[in-house]
Amino acid sequence: MKLREWFLLPARAWMAVLFAAPFAIVLAYSLMTRGDIGGIAPPWTAESYARLIDPLYLTILWRSFVMAAVATALCLLFAFPAALFISRSTSHRNLYLQLVMLPFWTSFLVRTYAWLFLLRDTGLINTLLESLGLTHAPLPLLYNDGAVLLGLVYGYLPFMVLPIYATLERLDPALVEAAADLGARPMTTVFRVIVPLSKPGIVAGSILVFIPCLGAYLTPDLLGGGRTVMVGNLVQNQFTTARDWPFGSAISMALMLIVTLLLVLFLRKESESLV
Amino acid sequence: MICSNMNRRYFIFGLSGLASCARDSRPRLNVYNWSAYVAPETIPAFESEFGVRVRYATYESNEEMLAKVITGNSGWDIVVPTHSRIESMRAAGLLASLDHAALPNLANLDPRFRAPTWDPSLAFCVPYMWNGTGIVYNKSLHPAPTRWADLWSPALKGRLTMLDDPEDMLGACLKKIGRSFSETDPEQLHRAESEAIAQKPLLRAYLNAEVRDQLVAGDVLAAQLWSTTAQQAIDAAPQLAFTYPAEGFPFYCDCAVILRESRRVELAHKFLNYLLRPAVSAQIVQATRTATANGAALSLLPEETRNNPSLYPGPETFARGEWPHTVPTATQRLRDRIWTEIKSA
Repeated sequence: MKLREWFLLPARAWMAVLFAAPFAIVLAYSLMTRGDIGGIAPPWTAESYARLIDPLYLTILWRSFVMAAVATALCLLFAFPAALFISRSTSHRNLYLQLVMLPFWTSFLVRTYAWLFLLRDTGLINTLLESLGLTHAPLPLLYNDGAVLLGLVYGYLPFMVLPIYATLERLDPALVEAAADLGARPMTTVFRVIVPLSKPGIVAGSILVFIPCLGAYLTPDLLGGGRTVMVGNLVQNQFTTARDWPFGSAISMALMLIVTLLLVLFLRKESESLV
Repeated sequence: MICSNMNRRYFIFGLSGLASCARDSRPRLNVYNWSAYVAPETIPAFESEFGVRVRYATYESNEEMLAKVITGNSGWDIVVPTHSRIESMRAAGLLASLDHAALPNLANLDPRFRAPTWDPSLAFCVPYMWNGTGIVYNKSLHPAPTRWADLWSPALKGRLTMLDDPEDMLGACLKKIGRSFSETDPEQLHRAESEAIAQKPLLRAYLNAEVRDQLVAGDVLAAQLWSTTAQQAIDAAPQLAFTYPAEGFPFYCDCAVILRESRRVELAHKFLNYLLRPAVSAQIVQATRTATANGAALSLLPEETRNNPSLYPGPETFARGEWPHTVPTATQRLRDRIWTEIKSA
């Protein structure tokens, strides 16, 4: 074996043990029958996949896509100016980057719980609004789609900021100067020069945000109060109260398949447009 | 420091070295129980009295526990499933049969739990703690809710929660239309679904134990909740009260079982017998605010605990309760679909 192969061995072992093996298990489970107290039993069947073709589950899947897409768009809206600002700052750049990553020091669960205390009727925001005399009854800030979107955007914003920052940082300042020399206004420069040049970062960030948002189950559960289901909750429910592991596995496989297909189509189109 | 006498030679010998450096040669019992279900003293006192070690860990749902023990090779000796899971766990061959000769303290059990429907001869399980599902409400509500049907009142809009649990939530709807918690008739289940969908616009959310803080804070005025959790809220906020609804309600009894995979069956029996001691049981009740199936422990409890109507409902209320059992696979699947439909309505 060549030296190069030896160095790749840890990464290959990692992928085999932590990706390929679980993937094979989920695939196998999805093709089996539900056991009485959970788990799986023979015989082999594709029934779980057939059950998926059902308006009920397709609607949930569609709604999850919409939620994830909106959350990604909002992340982009907030992240781009922030990334631009950080890449342009000179003295405090590292501090700003640390601040973006600071939330990762605390568990995601704890941070989501913190939002409960901010948003609830007797929470900080409602108490503040009422004491300022701006509202007279608590606003329903919690347990709706808005709260879920807030939680998703809050949770995944850093995954959008960092890749965009990485591309903006490498952007040749001469190009921006050239645009200005040619008479472009600052806004025109941003939209005609900076945004197109930072496209790789935007694409990477969008993928990094969209995929976890699509599978989110904690945020819809805690901030949505279980009033709506996203596909992540559907999967979780099959492995818990419904005790239907094959169906849960089938939903996971279908979701993975759809995301992979979309990603392949999207990236192929991207590479075509670059040519 | 893992081991004080570890030196290079042991290190080279690898596994045999590790084995010889084990700190503790006392036998080890592995107990997997619900969270917050023993007193702080319960386990240490057992360890010192019997000269053993206990590996103790906790879970939050039956499914979490079942997912581990279903393999038959989980490493646990004792688990505490809810009564409705006992029959299917026995059928799956997961449970060891109990040796009553090693459990003299079974005599301490409340007569109501000596021949339960789910295991009439207590061949596989020892009833441990029990509770029911009812309504916890703010006393400022007039009239106070007494029936499940009262939770469909438009006056509660936005200040009401139901449990995020298909069995209990759908169960309350079934009770409202006069059916059993363990209903299997699809037509009746769909009627219950319509009830749930009609109620959904009034609901603030589907919440489990996390509703406790919002009840105490006054955000929520009425909630479907388990009696133990409700009692914890009432302890923190005297303006709250609990009621067992008139149409009927479920009881759940968590029962200690020895897994068939256990290799320390004798020690496991000693532990079960220890849990059945009145003093041990009373201590646990005081720490966890739940209801014990140990009749002899009751006399050791303060009067206000023993006569607490939400933890220990009187005979009339008790008779209205129902012990749900596991429904067939086809019904379970329909119920899950209905639950998903309610959630996405």
